[in-house]
Amino acid sequence: MATSTHSLGYAGCNFLRQRLVLATLSGRPVKIRKIRARDDNPGLRDFEASFIRLMDKITNGSRIEINQTGTTLYYQPGLLYGGTVEHDCSVLRGIGYYLEALLCLAPFMKHPLKIVLRGVTNDQVDPSVDVLKATALPLLKQFGIDGESFELKIVRRGMPPGGGGEVFFSCPVRKALKPIQLTDPGKIKRIRGVAYSVRVSPQMANRIVDSARSILNKFIPDIYIYTDHMKGLNSGKSPGFGLSLVAETTNGTFLSAELASNPQGQGVAVLPEDLGRNCAKLLLEEIYRGGCVDSTNQSLALLLMTLGQQDVSKVLLGPLSPYTIEFLRHLKSFFQIMFKIETKPCGEELKGGDKVLMTCVGIGFSNLSKTLK
Amino acid sequence: VRKKLPKPSQEGGGRKLGPENIIGETSDVEDLFKEEEDYKEENNYSTETSGTLKWKEDLSRKAAEAFLRQQQATPNLRKLIYGTVTEDNEEDGGDPREEIGGLFHISQPDRECKHKADSLDCSKFLVEAPHDWDLEEVMNSIRDCFVTGKWEEDKDAAKILAEDEE
Repeated sequence: MATSTHSLGYAGCNFLRQRLVLATLSGRPVKIRKIRARDDNPGLRDFEASFIRLMDKITNGSRIEINQTGTTLYYQPGLLYGGTVEHDCSVLRGIGYYLEALLCLAPFMKHPLKIVLRGVTNDQVDPSVDVLKATALPLLKQFGIDGESFELKIVRRGMPPGGGGEVFFSCPVRKALKPIQLTDPGKIKRIRGVAYSVRVSPQMANRIVDSARSILNKFIPDIYIYTDHMKGLNSGKSPGFGLSLVAETTNGTFLSAELASNPQGQGVAVLPEDLGRNCAKLLLEEIYRGGCVDSTNQSLALLLMTLGQQDVSKVLLGPLSPYTIEFLRHLKSFFQIMFKIETKPCGEELKGGDKVLMTCVGIGFSNLSKTLK
Repeated sequence: VRKKLPKPSQEGGGRKLGPENIIGETSDVEDLFKEEEDYKEENNYSTETSGTLKWKEDLSRKAAEAFLRQQQATPNLRKLIYGTVTEDNEEDGGDPREEIGGLFHISQPDRECKHKADSLDCSKFLVEAPHDWDLEEVMNSIRDCFVTGKWEEDKDAAKILAEDEE
């Protein structure tokens, strides 16, 4: 990839992942200054250092320079290499934090990525592995990334603060992506979910299921929430429980919501009934927002549209999240791509809030490092 | 009342003075009546000759105003997203430092954008103002998102079947 282009400069630790991911895909170096410069504890945190190490593992020839206080990071991307990798993620953030970046990069590796990630599978901050498995994988399939080796498996579940979870992710490589036309989300035909519990009574999961169903049943009868109770070594190091819900539409759109219990020793104990009810309401909020892509995956969809063939891609989204808005700005500075953005008012229809139609022409990105067989 | 609208500038001036003076002095009231008669005459005059033209002028101005109002009401997402980028960069480039005695510079309290720069890096879109999903009307607002809701004309299975039979 081209290395002669000058580097892009940013300030602050926010949006670190998208900056490094876009830098890697575009081949442009980035320099991030003032990372928590005014903080009592300045510089990069453990989880960010772990993320940078992960980027180093999956690429070949990256140059990373961090100053002594950790407030400035220079990253010159190498080639995406892939292959079989293992990584111990920081327990300060969920595995979802790392997995989100991998989902953006995995299709463009030289060798198909097969990675084992260890850490926290479900927490209250990041999208859990369950949700990414249920929403991001079907989204990647829309772009033509599919195959037998495409899987995301939760081997062990780990809750904060101890972690101890394990996830296996493997993704095939593609030379080019298909453009998408997702303008009609269709209608929700079923709701699925996973109520999990580790190192607590398995009854917790059943109580969550009952309370969530009591709300969702008013809308649709086809609801099935699996209870997942992992035991022994597979249950990680800390107790906890939670619920993730996914609504599937007739056109293959997946909208999700999730909640997890407070980590051991932090905050008050949460009743499983309350958690189930609140999570069901969060799913209704997500349905109200609507669109063809779940709010956590908006940026993934927009990235793959940008990198697609030189053809028009369209996607209907709910309201843009702050993360997505910043991502759009970054796409402009890294790839010089600006989206056409049209607001679609909901009008008299009983289909939730206003939607946004995003249109762009792909830059025709092709994975040159993919080996021909 | 509507007929007076096309000439707001002259009438507005007379009216503003009106209410203060009415209380004590009758002559002013008489003046006011006279003025109003004048206006009526003027209006009649205008409707006879160039009434249609004036109406058209007014319409275009009104349309322009309505357009601007709508522009301001519905946020222009494109400008919101891409327009602010350049401003952010400029702010980073220029360092507005106030120095005291040429030695110390005042550390500016963090502005909103600075605060954003070091906040949590998370893709989740949190719900800031949750709806009350126990209310019937709120529940109805997403009713048609489900297969159990009302379908569009061209996709309604029952309608299509009925048409096929015919």
